[in-house]
This record gives sequence, C-alpha cells and structure tokens, in this order.
Amino acid sequence: MALAEPEIVEDLSVAPAVPWQTVVWDDPVNLMSYVVRVFREYFGFGHDAATARMLEVHRDGHAVVAEGAREQMELHAQAMHDYGLWATVRKAPQ
Amino acid sequence: MTHVILTLTRVEAAHLTNLVGQFQELVTEPVGDPALERLTPDVYPDDAEASSEFRQVTRADLLGRRAHDAATVSNDLSRVEDAGVADALSPVDVSIADLEPWLRTLSALRLVLAGRLGIADGAEHEEDDPAYGLYEWLGYRLEGLVQVAEQDAS
Repeated sequence: MALAEPEIVEDLSVAPAVPWQTVVWDDPVNLMSYVVRVFREYFGFGHDAATARMLEVHRDGHAVVAEGAREQMELHAQAMHDYGLWATVRKAPQ
Repeated sequence: MTHVILTLTRVEAAHLTNLVGQFQELVTEPVGDPALERLTPDVYPDDAEASSEFRQVTRADLLGRRAHDAATVSNDLSRVEDAGVADALSPVDVSIADLEPWLRTLSALRLVLAGRLGIADGAEHEEDDPAYGLYEWLGYRLEGLVQVAEQDAS
C-alpha cells in the first residue's frame, strides 16, 4: 500500500492566497474511534487534536481537516476515501 | 510494525473470509454497484463535472488499493485451516502483520453493508434483518482492532 506522505498545512499563514479545503463529513457508519485513528495515522494529529476534530465532524456535521493548494487537498480527500471517510474538496469560504 | 494476533471463532473466520471474497469481487469487477459510490464519493458535491473528472482519474487506483488491502486480509485468513462443524465455536488465531489493511477493509465492508441496509441514508432499517447482525459484528471486531492499533501508537 503506497500512500503519499501527507504534507500537512497546519500553519494557515503559509497557505496560498485562495486556499482550498479538505472537508470530512459526518456519516452514520464509521466508528468514532476509527475516525480518530485515521486522523492520527494520516494527518499525524495527537490523540487530543484528532479526537477534537472527530467530535467537530460528529457535532457540526463536518470539519475542515486541511487547507492549502487544490491538488494537495484532492490528495488528502483521496486518502480519506481510501479509509472510507466521506471527504470533499472546496474553496475556502472567503 | 507490531504483529497482532486476532482471536476469532472458526465460524467467524469463515464468515469473514466469505465477506472479504465478495468484497474482492466487488472492487475488482466494478459493475455499476451502488455500493461503489460510497467508496468513491463525489469530491466536488456542487460540481458534477469536476467530480466525474476526478473520479475518472482516481477511481481505478483507489479500487486497486482496496483490492490489495482485501487480498492482504484474505491471505491472513487463508492460513486458518478448515475445520468441521463441531469446531465452529473453537477459537482460532489469525496472525496479522499489518493492521492497516484490516482496518480499511473492515470499515469498507461496513460501508457496503450499510448501503445495502439503508443505514447510510439515515433510512429506517430492519433490525431483524440478518445482515444487520453482520454489520454490528463487523463493528465489534473493527472496534477491537482500532483499540489495538491505538495502544500501539501511544
């Protein structure tokens, strides 16, 4: 299984002028613990950060998990699909 | 990479082998099965054209990775030797060298079953549908493996 090494844009100040976002959506199937695991494994979030993001998805229906160049966001979305998470790409709301 | 031993009853191992085999068929010969839509969702929900373009470029690779994962799981399960009905509930150890394909495949199986059961649409599902028990069982086994993976990671 060859997954591209994720390049995580955590510092939003270095994001391009018109950033794109990878958004993960709530679904009634994936286990909460599994979603946390995916966020930790793929994005390298710590346990608390991954749990907070998972709860955001659960509570708000979605969460932005990455922001940056469009191609990069598509790679992240594809990686999320590999894990069975429901992910989409969008232009960051201005 | 930590080696994991998953203890199942023989009847569970047989069911799982069967399900994973069906899943392998689904992803290697994708023939307009709605279950596949959930495995390769629209990446641009508001732009059908961009979504379809993205899917055309990426879908085959994604399903290829699914098939590879499923083959790994199937291979791990194939080392469980066959046994008679009398041994159906006896425990058997499945040796797992890499947990990731297992996590992804069990999750994908749940997504496929959920689609069949109507759970994915939030529609009412029949709790006495035998497939629902299978779905719940997969969730139980997946949860156990996630816990093991998390222990490893922390």
